[in-house]
Amino acid sequence: MTLEEILAARPSPGQPRAYNFPGFERTVLPSGLQVLAVHVPGRPLVSANLIFRVGAADEPADRAGVTVLAARAMTEGTTRYPGLELIEAAERLGSTLHADASWDAFAASVEVAASRLRAALELLDELVERPTFPAEEVSRLRDERLNDLLQMHAEPRRRVEQAFSQTIYTAGSPYSRLAGGNESTVERLTRDELTAIHRAVLSPDRAAIVIGGDMTGLDVPRIAEEVLGSLALGGSRAPAAPVAGRAPTADSAVERTTVRLYHRPGAVQSEVRIGHVGLSRRVPDFHAVQVMAAILGGLFNSRLQLNLREDKGYTYGVGAGFDMRRGAGPFGVRTAVQTASTVPAISEALNELHRMRDTLVTDAELAVARDYMVGVFPLRFETPGAVVGAIGGLFVNELPDDELARYRGLVEAVTAQDVQKAARDHIHPDRLAIVLVGDADVVGKDLEASGFGDLEIIREELSGEVGEPGGHGVGE
Amino acid sequence: MTAPTVRFTDERLANGLRLIVAEDHLAPVVAVCIWYAVGSKNEVPGKTGFAHLFEHVMFQGSRHVAKTEHMGLVQAAGGTLNGTTWLDRTNYFETMPSHQLELALWLEADRMATLLDALNQENLDNQRDVVKNEKRSSYDNRPYGQWFHKLQEHLFPPEHPYHHPTIGSMEDLDAASLGDVAAFFRTYYAPNNAVLAIAGDVDPAQARAWVERYFGEIAPNPKIPPLGDMSVPPTLGGESREVIEDRVPLPRHYFGFRAPCFGDPRLDALEVAAQILAGGKGSRLYRRLVREERIAQDVAFFALGFVGGASIAAGQATVRPGVDPAVVERAFEEELERMALEPVTDDELARARALIETFELEALQRVDERADRLAMLATLLDDPDLINRQLARYLAVTPADIEAVAAEVFRPDNRVVLTYMPEAAPATHGEDEEPAA
Repeated sequence: MTLEEILAARPSPGQPRAYNFPGFERTVLPSGLQVLAVHVPGRPLVSANLIFRVGAADEPADRAGVTVLAARAMTEGTTRYPGLELIEAAERLGSTLHADASWDAFAASVEVAASRLRAALELLDELVERPTFPAEEVSRLRDERLNDLLQMHAEPRRRVEQAFSQTIYTAGSPYSRLAGGNESTVERLTRDELTAIHRAVLSPDRAAIVIGGDMTGLDVPRIAEEVLGSLALGGSRAPAAPVAGRAPTADSAVERTTVRLYHRPGAVQSEVRIGHVGLSRRVPDFHAVQVMAAILGGLFNSRLQLNLREDKGYTYGVGAGFDMRRGAGPFGVRTAVQTASTVPAISEALNELHRMRDTLVTDAELAVARDYMVGVFPLRFETPGAVVGAIGGLFVNELPDDELARYRGLVEAVTAQDVQKAARDHIHPDRLAIVLVGDADVVGKDLEASGFGDLEIIREELSGEVGEPGGHGVGE
Repeated sequence: MTAPTVRFTDERLANGLRLIVAEDHLAPVVAVCIWYAVGSKNEVPGKTGFAHLFEHVMFQGSRHVAKTEHMGLVQAAGGTLNGTTWLDRTNYFETMPSHQLELALWLEADRMATLLDALNQENLDNQRDVVKNEKRSSYDNRPYGQWFHKLQEHLFPPEHPYHHPTIGSMEDLDAASLGDVAAFFRTYYAPNNAVLAIAGDVDPAQARAWVERYFGEIAPNPKIPPLGDMSVPPTLGGESREVIEDRVPLPRHYFGFRAPCFGDPRLDALEVAAQILAGGKGSRLYRRLVREERIAQDVAFFALGFVGGASIAAGQATVRPGVDPAVVERAFEEELERMALEPVTDDELARARALIETFELEALQRVDERADRLAMLATLLDDPDLINRQLARYLAVTPADIEAVAAEVFRPDNRVVLTYMPEAAPATHGEDEEPAA
């Protein structure tokens, strides 16, 4: 055969190898702590993630940022290991201790050789149970957070994200803030408040430790019980506990489409976010929504990418999707476009939002999205860390244990009608926030004339006072 | 803890394509990675950014693959993919469910054999716009965004191929023509200038048969132009400094040094030194500048390995508000110079070794990383087996090795210091202006 003949024939796929998401074993210790162990054979490292189902969305508005700061300050020393001794002890095991909080969870994790699992869990227990929150280090971390906020204001893509959240949510929603808190609340945080939130978070009956790796020769439930059996029993249970199933407030502040432009003189691109309050992870039509979002802005060849990048060349990349949390996280189109193309790019993005609602996706579009999501599933879970992360997500969102085992079947069952219904139910072009960081002197007039919605231009200094539109003061 | 050995076969097709296959059936996943021995170092003045622009063109279709179809076919097969361009190379990779391996091989072969059939002005213009927007979002519209390009300029003389940025200049991108693209393809995208690595759930005999079938008939280019002499003196020969005013709230220093080439054991010692200097909260720079003296907001130090004359060792420190940037610079430099004056402690070295071991094991868990490293080591060093010896090399680094490489590299006359300073507020931003809100 000639090369031409060989290349003219497209290969067809072989027989897929069976794949099942690894099953995990649940053991509930007398304290209430759940031990979720998953065997991922042949891997030299074990991942362990200790999760408390309470996060930044549960903290009081006037102390916004306290949960994230408390989590990060835990590595600053414990009763047994003052100062950096805890970090050093972990490093001797070849391991790094991570502690952080998100909107929905407060977590500490470690990755270590299987033979050192017990020693690493002992450090994890020490970290979570007995941090001392030295006042000096707390004030340093607080200052670092404030400096990071300064940096954030200067970085267009971080600035636009913050402005977008602040625009779409009412001030009463935690999601209008940053999970790490804004200037006005962070600057007031003290060691006492960190200690208090830590005590409030720590309760074994909303905690799980997820451990994944090659379990050959390891009795993980027993090791977990011996090391973590009394974890957090001294914590108080009531104050910070979210009521099961109750989601944080996530009301929309936008009633009809509005445009908000943060002025950056001379910016060569406009950072653009278009969207509104989206969905909780527990939304019943989750799989249809994910297929819809993939077609709109998730795949490399999504409608938005094909239009704004491959056809028009306005951008290096554009995406869209739902950031699903315990409460309704944001839905947004995200891109950065060359300044001169700002208005046409927004116009095309809006067209794509309408088109998702107005017409059925084609069979080919549906097939690519479903086949991608089903086919890439095993690739996502190659390592213990990824498997542990996914199981942790089930625990945090209180989803059924077989959620991941059922995932591919449910994705395959999504129809074009399901996709259109998801778009109509969950995308609302009449009440979008269009938020930009860009050069108002260049794009302001065109935006005004575009008819997208009422335009508000915010001119702010970068390193001094941050100007905010009325009614949306930082952190309130 | 012992690192699992990556077993692989290594052979050449008659047309010069080097094929490396590493079999491992833990997950039903296979990675394909092809490295072409062409990067921004092969560009000539007036045509900077060309290797990377070309990488974009490689996704615009070939004789049997329509525009955007490459991405579409891989994603519909449940795979992931991308390509990257750097000073010494351009690579393309797909990670696939293992029953879709043949599709990835066919796609790579079709564009290696027939790319020019699909090339047209419209696709070139479109991807030129995309790349210009990549330049804007990755560098031009980003605070401190030009730091690496500035280090390249200072560390290598104007005639050296590492002097200019991989992303290129807007003028050169504008000037790129269809003829340039075709010539570049014919010159460098030949089987004898490529290494194809396959790692994961694969039957090696079957993979070899497919590679022979799809790639075996592609003609080599016997006249790939050799690069000129890229050697440079091991040190810069004098400190080089620049102050840059930018739209940044906090001052930041970037430090750059010429360092031993990729593959040189001294670079291993330098990487261990980098771990001790700035690898996490237990490191020297973090401990002193961030935690104890509280003069820096963050610190970093790392080495980027290159084969053409010198690597780059680079560091950064963001200055805390109210702190004199000169104080931060001095403290940073003192810690670097101290590495050359006294041995690191046994405990520091033990911690760094243990962490490096975990990082290596973690990275090599994934088939895409294994394929990428095998192709990289074959392309740049003609030594894919280094994948199995690299960890031992890191673990063998002694305090004396670190002292020696620090003494060679961390010298004031081998140093570039870039200092970003917040620019003065422009006049239009005066106090008389009211917020529009």
